Amino acid sequence: MMNTNQATNKFPASPASDERALDEMISRAHAGIERAMKNIRRPEARVGVVPSPLGKLLIAESDRGLAAIHFLFVNSGDRTLATLRKRFDLIENEASTKRVGAEIQRYFDGDASVMSHRVDFSVVESEFQRRALMALQAVPAGSVITYQGLAAAVGKPDSQRAIGNTMASNPIPIVVPCHRVVRSDGSIGNYGGGVENKIKLLRVEGFNVGRDHRLPQQAVFGHAKTRIFCRPDCSAAKRANPSRMLIFADPECATHAGLRPCKLCRPA
Amino acid sequence: MKSTMAPIKLKLPPPFEDAVRAMEREIMRFLVRSTGDRDDAMDLFQETWLRAYRAYPTLQSEDGLRPWVFRIASNLCRNRARDKMRRRRVISDELADADAFSELASFEARGGPDGMLHLKRAIAKLPGKQGKALIMRKFAGLEYDEIGAALDCSADSARASVYLALKKLKADG
Repeated sequence: MMNTNQATNKFPASPASDERALDEMISRAHAGIERAMKNIRRPEARVGVVPSPLGKLLIAESDRGLAAIHFLFVNSGDRTLATLRKRFDLIENEASTKRVGAEIQRYFDGDASVMSHRVDFSVVESEFQRRALMALQAVPAGSVITYQGLAAAVGKPDSQRAIGNTMASNPIPIVVPCHRVVRSDGSIGNYGGGVENKIKLLRVEGFNVGRDHRLPQQAVFGHAKTRIFCRPDCSAAKRANPSRMLIFADPECATHAGLRPCKLCRPA
Repeated sequence: MKSTMAPIKLKLPPPFEDAVRAMEREIMRFLVRSTGDRDDAMDLFQETWLRAYRAYPTLQSEDGLRPWVFRIASNLCRNRARDKMRRRRVISDELADADAFSELASFEARGGPDGMLHLKRAIAKLPGKQGKALIMRKFAGLEYDEIGAALDCSADSARASVYLALKKLKADG
């Protein structure tokens, strides 16, 4: 029988005398690990908790942009962290998240321009949901779109229910403005962070919602392409492609957004 | 804005590399003792590290990290031992054929005056890779790693191909 110590690739019998050999083996193994890790390493994301006028927010930001915002008053955020960990190596970094928190605060102070963050949709697995969230980013502050209109904008006009589910699972609320999606019947619908917060966000953007949680009577429909706004009962508005129709709180908001009044229904 | 809220401590597990580096000597020692072979231990150490990294997001609690990593390492050791046993069986089966040349020679002899033609036909009937591996091994005298390189497969796969080819020839009688 072969003596195991005689073979070059056999480990010596006395481990205590060979700690150095162990270190050498580990360092040699690490060279191979480093090479392999280049291909499988997950990108890093910095996470932290910041206070905001809506309550405490869990924020995650990768090098590509904001990856998640979670309302911590809804639940502890364990599921959000578990989802993020599948895509990112998480690092707790207060400095990074505080900056985002400060921007959200400025947004509530009335500076809507700070919300032009780059976003990282890595945690959104469905292509449909990704398209819906990207289309939603084109809805400007001060206006809202209906679930039906957003469904049409994604190219699936009958998928308003799927749009509703997408908004409910939006990983980056506030920045990806799911609060700007309302029901076609004129009510503002639900919100993952609570309906009161949806109203608060819309009001910050200059879209005043009534106490009955319905769109105001003086709301007008604006066409995103022709830049014309009409009364809801205008025949031109009824003929228009719903995917391009935005709703503004009143004619003044529409004018402020750079739209002109319709010459048929004269909403102004 | 001045916050009056108490800071929240997130329940984040430690970064993977920090967590595993703390126990890497233990893992390597375990692997060396389990395999009794330095090269195998280093291979399995790499494999353990990479598998653990891939699966780290699924680990529920930091407390379970140590047994979890050791479980991965011990599963890999078991798989490696099983593979080695299979390989050893293939080699011993091949050796049990006593002399592969004599096997081929007897096959040729059974074919009578057209023995070589009989053997050629039998080899031609074998699946491409097995036939090629058999010819390279028994007629050209190539080593298994050379055959593997020629057929774009591993040395073990080449060895298995030769073994299966001989087995089929024997069965064809």
